[in-house]
Amino acid sequence: MPPIVRPEDLDKKQIFLILASPANIRQRNIELIKEISENGYHTIIVTLNFPYNILSKLYAENGVDLKTVSFIDAVTRNSIGSAENVPGVVRFVNNPANLTDLGIAVTEVLKENSGKKVCILYDSVSTMLIYLSSQNISKFIHFVTNKLRLMDLSGVFLAVEKGLDPMLISQLTTFVDTVIDTG
Amino acid sequence: MTEKKPEHPGCIEAGILENALVIIAVLDKGGKILAWNRAAETITGYSKQEVIGTATIWRHLYPEKTYRDNVTKRIEKILAARDYFENFETLIHTRSGTTRTILWNTKEIDHDGMKRVITVGQDITPLRELDSFRECIIDNANVLITVLDQHGRVVMWNAAAEEITGYARAEAIGRREIWKQLYPEKDYRNTVTRQIREVMTARRHFANLETHVTTKSGEKKIISWNTRQIAFGGGEHVISIGIDITEQRKAEEALVAYMTEMAMRIKQPVEIIRDNLLDVAELTRAGKITPEETAMLLDGQVRNATQVAANVQEFQKAILERNQAIPQAYRKFLEGE
Repeated sequence: MPPIVRPEDLDKKQIFLILASPANIRQRNIELIKEISENGYHTIIVTLNFPYNILSKLYAENGVDLKTVSFIDAVTRNSIGSAENVPGVVRFVNNPANLTDLGIAVTEVLKENSGKKVCILYDSVSTMLIYLSSQNISKFIHFVTNKLRLMDLSGVFLAVEKGLDPMLISQLTTFVDTVIDTG
Repeated sequence: MTEKKPEHPGCIEAGILENALVIIAVLDKGGKILAWNRAAETITGYSKQEVIGTATIWRHLYPEKTYRDNVTKRIEKILAARDYFENFETLIHTRSGTTRTILWNTKEIDHDGMKRVITVGQDITPLRELDSFRECIIDNANVLITVLDQHGRVVMWNAAAEEITGYARAEAIGRREIWKQLYPEKDYRNTVTRQIREVMTARRHFANLETHVTTKSGEKKIISWNTRQIAFGGGEHVISIGIDITEQRKAEEALVAYMTEMAMRIKQPVEIIRDNLLDVAELTRAGKITPEETAMLLDGQVRNATQVAANVQEFQKAILERNQAIPQAYRKFLEGE
């Protein structure tokens, strides 16, 4: 099976918008992490859907080397109230709607991993829609993609296919280099 | 057979003068009335007996001194250049106190070596009232109404046109440049002009053509135009009626944006919650997560569902704010009371 993201595009520090059907999106997340890790990248997963402890368990089961990933978790504290950051492994954000905290977390985790081949993965744009307006999502993704380009890093935004309105899709399309519909 | 005796020409003329439906007055050089027909009596309310042999009638017809002096000056000015005037319009004050609009045509003649002035006055009050009624309707219409002559010059520009575009009547009437001001962007102006020309050539009218105009203050407005070519005053004219649909378009766009945002922020999140719950069930059944983790995942989905409900409430509030016409009972329901 061909890779979802071509290694040469990753090396060109491209930014991707990956679309998947609702039934496949969790599987695509795991496949992407495996692919990116196999290409020698450290992946920073920004999770807005499943908490860090469960995702790390699922990754381990699927053969992902957990040393090659670190997490920004916007779910756990929102669910259970408190969770301690583990440097180099996971950083918690209180609320997925707090874009300032999320932006700071991204900046700091990128700093922690400076010098490494890093790729950031957002799971997912669709879940962000529960907490944020499309306008704010668009602004936030613009901010993140600008940061990635300035730092010469690669990034992946996951979203449910057919779940974003044409205006948001067209805005996101202008921020990223490639849109891939994986079905 | 009896031979009909020819009538005296003077009698015929006198009959015509007497029965004409227009004011006919004959004046001597000093303005003294020599003849005053029946229509003059009817229209002004002043009888022959009162006016013949005097020049005081003009003081009665024009009681306001400034206006009378102005009329006199204008007449003197015309008669200094020639011995007649045509279509000279004045407002007279009748005996009963009403005001009538009279269109005067006057000719100086020589009668048995004496100068006489024949004055014919047509009562055009009903016409002027009709004009004023039309103008009133046109000016009170809340649609832009403009008429262009065959050279594209504006000959009519109503109050709504002033209101919508910001350009006063004086800035539009008699000019073609107003269109350059309303369509400052050359390519767009050319496109609109071409479209209009094509349709007008083919059909002589068009309906609901939407264009984007730039008002005097620089604001952009969307106008829906209905235009028709009309023959008037011996030339082709174009009457254009423009409806400002800017707010309507904005409302339609807002509705589409609102519906789209609703679909994205409600329908899709519900699907995400559903899929997450399916995943939780699957992971639980497969024994891959502990009861504590299951509870945590379910808590997460409860929070998601709570947020979706809050989003719905937010949308309902937005609807209420935008639409004041919603009945109270529905308003309370939407407010969640």
